[in-house]
Amino acid sequence: MFKRTFLTTGAAAAALMTALAGPLAAQTYPEGPITIVVPFPPGGSTDLLARQLGESLSAQLDQPVVVENRGGAGGTVGANYVAQSDPDGYTLLMGVTGSNAISAALRDDLPYSPTENFDPVSIVISSPLALVVNSDSDFESVQDVLDFAKENPDTFTHGTPGVGTSMHMAGELFALESGTSLVHVPYKGSAAALQDLLGGRIDAMFGDILVTSEYIANGRLTALGVTGTQEHFLLEGVPTIAEAGLPDYAAFSWQGLFAPAGTPTEALDTLYGAVSTALESEEMQAMFRERGFLVEGMPPAESKAFIASEVEKWTEVVDAAGLKQ
Amino acid sequence: MNILQGFETGLATALTWHALMYCFIGVTIGTFVGVLPGIGALAAISLALPLTYYLDPTDALIMLAGIFYGAQYGGSTASILLNLPGTATAAITCLDGYPLAQQGKAPLAIFVTAINSFVGSSIAIVLVMGFAPAIAEFALEFGAEDYFSVMLLGLVAASTLTIGSPMKALSMVVFGLLLGMVGTDVNTGQFRFTFGLFELADGFSIVAVAMGLFGVAEIISNIRQPQGVIQKVGRIRMKDMMPERGEWRQIVRPTLRGSAIGSFVGALPGTGPGIASLMAYATEKRISKTPDRFGKGALEGISAPEAANNASVQSAFIPMLSLGIPGDAIVAVLMGAMILHGITPGPNLINSEPQMFWGLIMSFWVGNLMLLVLNIPLIGLWVKLLSVPYNLLYPGILVFICVGVFSADNNVFDIFVVLGFGVLGYLMRRFGFPATPVLLGFILGPLLEENFRRAMLLSRGDASVFFTSPISAVFMGLSLIFLGSVFLPGLRQRLLRRAPVEMNEDDD
Repeated sequence: MFKRTFLTTGAAAAALMTALAGPLAAQTYPEGPITIVVPFPPGGSTDLLARQLGESLSAQLDQPVVVENRGGAGGTVGANYVAQSDPDGYTLLMGVTGSNAISAALRDDLPYSPTENFDPVSIVISSPLALVVNSDSDFESVQDVLDFAKENPDTFTHGTPGVGTSMHMAGELFALESGTSLVHVPYKGSAAALQDLLGGRIDAMFGDILVTSEYIANGRLTALGVTGTQEHFLLEGVPTIAEAGLPDYAAFSWQGLFAPAGTPTEALDTLYGAVSTALESEEMQAMFRERGFLVEGMPPAESKAFIASEVEKWTEVVDAAGLKQ
Repeated sequence: MNILQGFETGLATALTWHALMYCFIGVTIGTFVGVLPGIGALAAISLALPLTYYLDPTDALIMLAGIFYGAQYGGSTASILLNLPGTATAAITCLDGYPLAQQGKAPLAIFVTAINSFVGSSIAIVLVMGFAPAIAEFALEFGAEDYFSVMLLGLVAASTLTIGSPMKALSMVVFGLLLGMVGTDVNTGQFRFTFGLFELADGFSIVAVAMGLFGVAEIISNIRQPQGVIQKVGRIRMKDMMPERGEWRQIVRPTLRGSAIGSFVGALPGTGPGIASLMAYATEKRISKTPDRFGKGALEGISAPEAANNASVQSAFIPMLSLGIPGDAIVAVLMGAMILHGITPGPNLINSEPQMFWGLIMSFWVGNLMLLVLNIPLIGLWVKLLSVPYNLLYPGILVFICVGVFSADNNVFDIFVVLGFGVLGYLMRRFGFPATPVLLGFILGPLLEENFRRAMLLSRGDASVFFTSPISAVFMGLSLIFLGSVFLPGLRQRLLRRAPVEMNEDDD
């Protein structure tokens, strides 16, 4: 106990000294290697984004940037690790919709709060989803789905990569806004859900645009609508769901860079400046086009307000659907 | 694309200088991690995964797959020399491999396993080439109920094919199933049996369970025993390695039978090389005219299981490449590697990525040839490397295991999990409970539950789908036959035994 108290005092003293040395630190940050925690195992778009962003940050800030994978529980294990790290700007999180908004809506026992325990550097990218059906199915438009779901409650099935994913939330929001009830069929990952959609065993999916666009191109799947606020460049000619019959509907998944709450503003600003520059690079732009990402690059204050609005939005949906754990 | 075209495309891919290089790197790493008890193919592939990030996906897969099957060659080396399996699948090779080493025949034993491994792999690769596309055509028909029945068959087969008491094996399968329940429920997102530990939200790590039950348990078991005799190693000549004329007879047929068993078992999703080698060993022992020689250095006892585990590793690619079902934990990581490279393994893989599919398969040939050439000159080196005293060797192995487990998720918690499973595994050994069924239950359990519940969700609660779906019905039938084959012989024996008693009673 004594040891612990001593350590706490030491930490407080260190924090005080950091605060006093604030202006000086601003000129010197970063002085050492920066770690970006990816809350998923190697693989997937978050890992790739973190590694590309890290490369650019490293070149601009003249310090090594290490990407560390800490996967588990839909990104919350890694997010929790960063939430509890020192707010010195040297441990950052590549957070996503699930880890930094939906999880707070879904779980009472989440050991951190996306709004209180993080200072966002920037919401880096967003990407809408696509409502896709098997091309052999009778659904030809969003309106067809709405009509069917209204006449047949608890019948229309949509597959997702799991409870609390942005795909799941997009489906729940669809049900909430249209006043229908759909059957949620969770899978472990998108691939298995896609396989059942191709095999005609589920009706639809709110799917990742990049993954589904290949099947749409070869005619096996049909995209009825995108969940964003405008047409997506990988799915030309596909209306938004809002245009196609559900006026207020909009759902995105997004990824952003987060620091633990209490990180000096100077560090956040330095990082944000580097992120903005990185987003303009030819290489990043090419990757975004290939992956179907929309560039956001929100500044810290705007990002913070955005997270608050997202948590509020998904809490409403989760409560309406009765999904709270 | 027919097989000949595939052959051509594949060779063109596998014989580029970069593919050859990555294949060589992969099989070399594989051989080393196979020989070193502790870091297995699973840990090595997980570690190598981020390194392959910027590689061409085909090259990356060629390398990672090379680690996988390369480890099967190396795994038997430690079994033979140290009675400590380099990989879990090589455990059965200890039974006859270690006695051979004690008779001073270690070079012969290792040479024979290299040949068995090559033959086993070759036979299975031919099957992958010939049948994987056919399975792919069929793959889209598989629904949740069909997966459930396939997994059920895997579970039933696993529990019935283990040597020893079927009751103990079955109880260990159930224990494994329970372990698999820990974590987040797929259907509701609720945490189950996590006891408030956030680290358990994804359940136990497969790496930690496997390394604990096999690796750590092995070390604890051996610590209680005195150091085995370390052979004084002289220069190893070709003559020491070549089997004599009479010995070839004990090698050829068991190798072919082992290859056949391994290919079949490996292609069944949810089985894997461990079960394949057990089955091959059990078969050889059962059909042998001199079963007494087994366990005392019979060449059949290393030939069949080694051919079987290599064959099963190669044929395990059939369900992964054509169905998107990983046959075992390591194939699951390989599948993750494909996903990270933007390739979704599933029914479309062979048609959508023919270059990768055939390139990978052709690289299996290249890699296995490399392994054969690589392993024979290395025999002398291994024999020396592994004659380090236990008090130096075991701490080193434990470090490798901890590193291997930690590296999977960068999570210290997993190290405690592996140590816990090590102690559990030791206790299980002491009381004669086999560890392999635990691992199978652990892997298959969550898949069984997930597919069962999904099938019920989609059928709106109608359980008859398991029998009305033709694929599911076939696998359900096979499961019943398997179960029957276990219980019927016992039943018949009991009836036969009772018959004379009844006659006696009549006489009275």
